Amino acid sequence: MQSTVIPQGVEIKGSGLNKVLLWVMRTIITITGLMIFFPALNPGRISLLINENVSLFTTAMSFDTITDTMGYALKRGMLQNENFYLLMAGAAVVLLGIVLSSAGACMSLGNNRMKKRGMLLPFVGAVAMLGGLVLIYHAYTIFSAAAAESAAVMKRIQPMLPSGLYVFGVAAVLIFVSTLLAYLTLPRQTEEKMEMDEKFRLFLLFLPVLLLTFVFCYLPIYGWRFAFFDYKIGDALTAENFVGLKWFTYLFENAATRADLIRVLRNTLIMSGLGIATSWLPIAFAVLLAEVRSSKFQRLVQTLTTIPNFISWVLVYAIAFAIFSTDGFINSFLRNVMGMTGANTDYLASADWIWVKMLLWGTWKGLGWSAIVYIAGIAGIDQQLYEAARVDGANRFQCIRHITIPGLMPTYMVMLLMSVAGMLSNGMDQYLVFENAINKDVIEVLDLYVYNIGIKSGLIPLSTVVGVFKSLIGVTLLFGANGISKAVRGESII
Amino acid sequence: MSKKASNHIARKPGDIIFDTCLYIFFGLFTLLCVFPFYYLFINTISNNDAVTGGMVNFYPIGFHVNNYIALKDVADLGSSVVVTIARTIIGTALMVFVSAWAGYLVTKQKMWKRSLMYRALVITMYFNAGLIPWYMNMLMLGLTNNFLAYIIPGMIAPYNIILVKTYIESIPASLEESAVIDGANTPTVFLKIILPLSVPILATIAIFGAVGNWNSFQDSLLLMSARPAMYTLQHRLYVYLNQSSNLSALVSGSGTLSQAQADNMLSSRVIKYTVSMVSIIPILLVYPFMQRFFVKGIMLGAVKG
Repeated sequence: MQSTVIPQGVEIKGSGLNKVLLWVMRTIITITGLMIFFPALNPGRISLLINENVSLFTTAMSFDTITDTMGYALKRGMLQNENFYLLMAGAAVVLLGIVLSSAGACMSLGNNRMKKRGMLLPFVGAVAMLGGLVLIYHAYTIFSAAAAESAAVMKRIQPMLPSGLYVFGVAAVLIFVSTLLAYLTLPRQTEEKMEMDEKFRLFLLFLPVLLLTFVFCYLPIYGWRFAFFDYKIGDALTAENFVGLKWFTYLFENAATRADLIRVLRNTLIMSGLGIATSWLPIAFAVLLAEVRSSKFQRLVQTLTTIPNFISWVLVYAIAFAIFSTDGFINSFLRNVMGMTGANTDYLASADWIWVKMLLWGTWKGLGWSAIVYIAGIAGIDQQLYEAARVDGANRFQCIRHITIPGLMPTYMVMLLMSVAGMLSNGMDQYLVFENAINKDVIEVLDLYVYNIGIKSGLIPLSTVVGVFKSLIGVTLLFGANGISKAVRGESII
Repeated sequence: MSKKASNHIARKPGDIIFDTCLYIFFGLFTLLCVFPFYYLFINTISNNDAVTGGMVNFYPIGFHVNNYIALKDVADLGSSVVVTIARTIIGTALMVFVSAWAGYLVTKQKMWKRSLMYRALVITMYFNAGLIPWYMNMLMLGLTNNFLAYIIPGMIAPYNIILVKTYIESIPASLEESAVIDGANTPTVFLKIILPLSVPILATIAIFGAVGNWNSFQDSLLLMSARPAMYTLQHRLYVYLNQSSNLSALVSGSGTLSQAQADNMLSSRVIKYTVSMVSIIPILLVYPFMQRFFVKGIMLGAVKG
């Protein structure tokens, strides 16, 4: 293709067909890029024993993960470490090919000169991908050859030709063809220098952030699929263990689970309810602190009451332990100062008043901190309002009632609506550290329940179902609160 | 000053009673917030016999730092301290850098699909897939029993990105424009102009991020089950505390333990106090510096994206 160089500053526009073909190419490369995170499409799962939950990305990165379930075959010399290195190398070459193709797709956003240079990359990338897939296939033939030795060996290796191998092969070919078509329809002329429109340049600079967000915040949603399978960690998700909505109905139809759920929801709602019912405390704290005349004392109180907010719940428990356990402060004070020699109650090993106790710990930890936003709010109220009120003969309580509190109300409404929206999420740290065999029934909130059944008992599908409901209800509550806020205050909270 | 004085003269008896009540209330609550830390501290430096006897309630008896020295022999504590310090430094530095970079870029009106990108980022604050899918995702990415699990996911902090964005929007655009006219490209403008000017907000998110990293517990609990050496300090302390509470349950239940075992239990109690102090002290050390940023951090948060 003969290219003509044209002066700087002149824009070269591609044809409409070329634009469409470029977008087709970018879309194909983007989809292929996303495929590396989906375990179901992992071309590197060349044995049934390799964890179903391992993606191509992990295959290339983590030797431990892929050999986790094949220790026996390795130990007995049925397979060598080198065989797995070959597999990892293949996966890594596929990844490299995808990275190259993606770089080409990024450069295709530039001017014509940059397109021409950049779009050579997907050609290389597609070839690299195919090469990587050949390496993986080679590892597969080694696995099958080793497995062919005897039925016993077969059982320890279980070679499998993963469908992902074909999927990625097709993807590589598609990348090659779409890039070729787009490349051939590019305008013949090129600019003097490689340049890119600023809007795309900024977008590409932002892309890594977006990618991280996708991987850690959006990709987990794909994990909801576990709710539809009979699954234990290490299992494969196959057509056989697909159970549809079994776990959704199980949650409500199984008497024991239903009772658990009702109990846990009761705990959650009571603790959140207590929190909402006392959500005015920080305002009272701030308003009253503002009434203290000595500003030195104000600052001292503010400084010292905020400290507990910055220690973890584990440390709060450590403090609770130091104060309330059998040999803690209360008991040794009663024994040695008050002379009650029999005082050895372990106040922590008790379920009495646990909801109120949890509220009090939360208040101890958070009151000073939550008040700061209102203290700042009071400082922001126009002083002329107070002066005018005083001239009209208002006393300090009337000033509080008619100026300070109305001034803080907008902030309070936002905080209140947010806590209503977050009603189901009390977090699990606080309840986990205070949980013990005696108070388990009354302290277990929804977040802790999910942890207990999911991680501790390994009931992944059931805990996923609970999590799905919690996420959906949480979003509904948030939009509801936002709607109320819009209707009442005319502005949204999110 | 004169205004205060005139107020003072005008006080009525009712006011005086009210003011006294205020001082008493705030004095007591403040004491409640501080005393547990003080109590832990005096129990770690007092004579261990006095501590065992429950004599150390309000003031230290004797003085020694042997408990702190003895920590070097406590199993697994050293690696937890190293891991926690490492994640605090590396994790915070990366989080601050990424927040600054992302916060700067989303102020760029010219960015392709800017508002869509920004919304995609902000939504993650209000919606998440849930604990178990998150855990399975980390498993799928090979980020279990792996130090990187402490660093990489923490790099994206949407709330901090909003804080930085709001702050950068308040910087006069002319500063940036003049640099662009002089031929600076986006990364140069970011490094030479935006970063130095954003130091106040970056310091704010850095210090909150560092405290968050230091206090991290949940990710360690969920992800490091097969590698106790990777436990964070809080997780380690949690393990110690549970061992201790099991032991004390045993003692009050059976009452047949020998004196030596009981002594051992109580000195293990002191060790728990000392480990707690070690986890608290760094926070108390940075606390005076943090305080300056409180109001700024909170008030900026009230400004929405």
